[in-house]
Amino acid sequence: MANRVAIVGVGRSTQAARRPEVNDAEMINEAVRAALADAQIDINKVQAVLTNSIDGFDNFYLGDCLLVDGTGGYMKSGMKLHTGGTVGSTGAIAAFNMVASGMFDIVLTIGHQKQERGNSMGTLCAAAPGEMREFVQGAIGAFAQAAVQYMKNTGAKLEHAGMVRLKADKNACRNPYAHLRLGLKSIDDVAKSPILIWPLRLLDFCPQSCGACALIVASEKVAKKITKKPVWVADHETVHELQSEVVFGGDEEKSQQIAAKRIYKRNGITNPVRDIDCFEVYEPSSWEEMYLYEHFFLCEHNKGWKMIESGVTEIEREVPVNPSGGVLATNAIGATAMLRIAEAALQIRGDAGEHQVTKDVKTTLSSGLGGTNWTTLVLLKRSL
Amino acid sequence: MADEQKEEFISVEILSKISYNWSMGPYSGSLFTEMKENKKIWGIRCPKCKKLLFPPEAMCGYCFTEVKDDWEEIGDEGTIVQFTKAGMPIFDNRTGKFAFSERPLANIQFDKGPYIMHWLEEKDIEKLRLGMRVKAVWREQGRGRGYEDIMYFRIIEEKK
Amino acid sequence: MSERIGIVAVAQTRYHPNRAEVKEGEMAYEAIKQVLQETGLKYVNDGTGIDAAVSCSQDYWDGRTISSLNVASFLGTHFRSEEKVASDGINAVFYAMMHILSGEHDTVIVTTHCKESMTSPSLVQNHAFEPIFMRVLGLDFLSAAALQATRYMSKHKITPEQCAKVVVKNRGNAKNNPYAQAPMSLTVKDVLNSKMLADPIHDLDAKPVSDGACVMIMAREGKAKKFCKKPIWITGVSNCYEAHYLGDRDLAECKALTKAAKRAYKMAGITNPLKEIDVAEISEKFSYEELLWMEGLGFCERGGAGKVIDSGITKMGGKLPVNPSGGCLSGNPTEVAGMTRVVEAVLQLRNQAGARQVPDARVALAHGTSGVCGQLQTVMILSNS
Repeated sequence: MANRVAIVGVGRSTQAARRPEVNDAEMINEAVRAALADAQIDINKVQAVLTNSIDGFDNFYLGDCLLVDGTGGYMKSGMKLHTGGTVGSTGAIAAFNMVASGMFDIVLTIGHQKQERGNSMGTLCAAAPGEMREFVQGAIGAFAQAAVQYMKNTGAKLEHAGMVRLKADKNACRNPYAHLRLGLKSIDDVAKSPILIWPLRLLDFCPQSCGACALIVASEKVAKKITKKPVWVADHETVHELQSEVVFGGDEEKSQQIAAKRIYKRNGITNPVRDIDCFEVYEPSSWEEMYLYEHFFLCEHNKGWKMIESGVTEIEREVPVNPSGGVLATNAIGATAMLRIAEAALQIRGDAGEHQVTKDVKTTLSSGLGGTNWTTLVLLKRSL
Repeated sequence: MADEQKEEFISVEILSKISYNWSMGPYSGSLFTEMKENKKIWGIRCPKCKKLLFPPEAMCGYCFTEVKDDWEEIGDEGTIVQFTKAGMPIFDNRTGKFAFSERPLANIQFDKGPYIMHWLEEKDIEKLRLGMRVKAVWREQGRGRGYEDIMYFRIIEEKK
Repeated sequence: MSERIGIVAVAQTRYHPNRAEVKEGEMAYEAIKQVLQETGLKYVNDGTGIDAAVSCSQDYWDGRTISSLNVASFLGTHFRSEEKVASDGINAVFYAMMHILSGEHDTVIVTTHCKESMTSPSLVQNHAFEPIFMRVLGLDFLSAAALQATRYMSKHKITPEQCAKVVVKNRGNAKNNPYAQAPMSLTVKDVLNSKMLADPIHDLDAKPVSDGACVMIMAREGKAKKFCKKPIWITGVSNCYEAHYLGDRDLAECKALTKAAKRAYKMAGITNPLKEIDVAEISEKFSYEELLWMEGLGFCERGGAGKVIDSGITKMGGKLPVNPSGGCLSGNPTEVAGMTRVVEAVLQLRNQAGARQVPDARVALAHGTSGVCGQLQTVMILSNS
């Protein structure tokens, strides 16, 4: 990167199934104000505002313009990015690029979605071209099919999906900004939940949430002035993938492995479990988390289920994954990928409160997932 | 508590209905014509990486090569790679309504390689296994609506 | 700016009222093919070709969530990087520039596409309005523009004839543009006699429905000079948001444009736009917009655009020709329009604009708008030296 970039402010709105008491602009404003307060700067210092989300869920065409009252974009530069499920991280990466380019010193980037409205499934199905739209069942169908394959290829059982949810819920209960905080006691509680699309049970999949996340990104010289705890953006990688036959999961090398290999190589990471202290991955289903352990080379191929079984990805252990509760607990799609970056930044700063991981966090990896299995990775560091 | 909160808010329902006329273009257009008139499925082979592209496209997005004219018949038999059946009502983009899907949805791999997502005739998922052989059941009268000209895929007996 | 970003190749499709014979992606591919052939660059990861893609399209126009999927096969996105901007196309150029300057990649292909013919523009545009207070009124860009035109014309005494002169000029200019959708030889009377759509906007005062795409390849200075003989440099760029609620703005003013223009001029070292800019491509989706935007761009004082169009300095051969391509009024899809302006500016600066060439053009201005009554304004200055 040409100029060094740091995250200097993190803001999250309350996330819930429905937020009828606020409109979108007000909900976004919660996150924006929180980020500004966190960075201890005034909105007037912000030079550009990126407002990122998926149009269809909110029923907004040109949402960045529509929401300018809540985003703080009035009389500022900015634009909207929209890349499907990865939109939150693409919005963050775009902000990193804007600051790294030298053209801006302080950029506010927002990811938001209010999924209480309309129907998310219809919008997700609409990612297929019109002539194929009858034959898709939203993202859930693809994840269900991935789960079937995973069990077949690896010997994993339904119980392992339950273990992933249990960890996510335990962590979410320690995160006041998570949406689903169920207080599950055992994997039997997960087994009791109704079947969504076989073999996915309700609790094997992420909820539909309303929420917003905001990041304030600054250049090195500004970051050092306004905060004692800048979180440095060491690197990022975006890898798209054409819709393949097995959209998610499966046995072939996919965008996740490719993105991970590239970012690890560029940053001298030879042993991710040792070189990276904490992971916030985008796991829309419990099965996807097991896949991601493998895809990001945290364990051997086909052994992801063993990792969750061993408990090594818990908050107190050696390879904490999704201490925030992850996407399984909270999924306002426009915000979700950005929340992975925001939560990782808080871990580095030691500001994650009750869901702060036990080990010292110097380096984190956040992932985004969306579209036809697109991956974004962001590597954050306490010091470069 | 939550119920009390809900009643506090006035809710206004605005139905958003926008229609689109999508063009199929020369490649999908040719495919749809073949499916309608001859009940045949065609793909186009990439001249460089030799991948059989289905649906056919002007450029092979995998090796970034422009296709030529190497149309190839795909046949309509294949193997079930994955299948699922929704336990809850699914949204139909064409009608704007939720409904239980009648049949399981499957990812089917044609013998020649490409994949298709389509319905299975067999409604009972207990009777389905990964790897079962299936064959397309076509509409009597093709409507030129491409994949919809196939009603579903039927399980066929393995040739012993 | 530490290093210059150059535009290495550009292409556009011929704009057309209904490209029913191609898919969105295939339409974009017509233009993508041209830049790939012209430069010989390939989608490779070794730094010798195109490293990444920035696409621009709107879900609501394509009728598809994640509309970049329509062009994914053609942009070399498989196992590579692509980002989609969902604002007017000129912002995709702006973003691609920052993407390159950030050091992430050196060479980026940028494309935008839109097929307005596929759906009802009014219904789509209605969704750009805030739902509770504005959308329910059934507003679309035409009715909002009519409100702005009324306010602007009454406050600054702009006449319908002056607006019509914009149409006469631009539709006439389009006759020199092989990519233009609908060149026409018109008189002011023809425009004013055309059907009234929404007072004071007549049918010929509004841009027609259009389908099209455009593409460009951009690269950092060192590579740009290798990839083409005459890269065109972006020397200044900025954008700015206005308020959204129509009542929160004085529609006769264009504060956001004034601010964006000031910043872009400062970056490019321009102090006297009328003198220092040789050709301007402005996004005018309605005739009054060309007048209002000229004021925001500082071509004259506030309220002075009527005199500018009367004077003839913005005609071909005048002091500062505006929209030699025919502009949006001659047929440009929304979202593509801003990038088309950049493409046209590049052609002017490369001396490749054929019959619409402004002689000896060295500095060009391209302008794009996004949203209701130009809520997001983007100004870009380009130069060939």
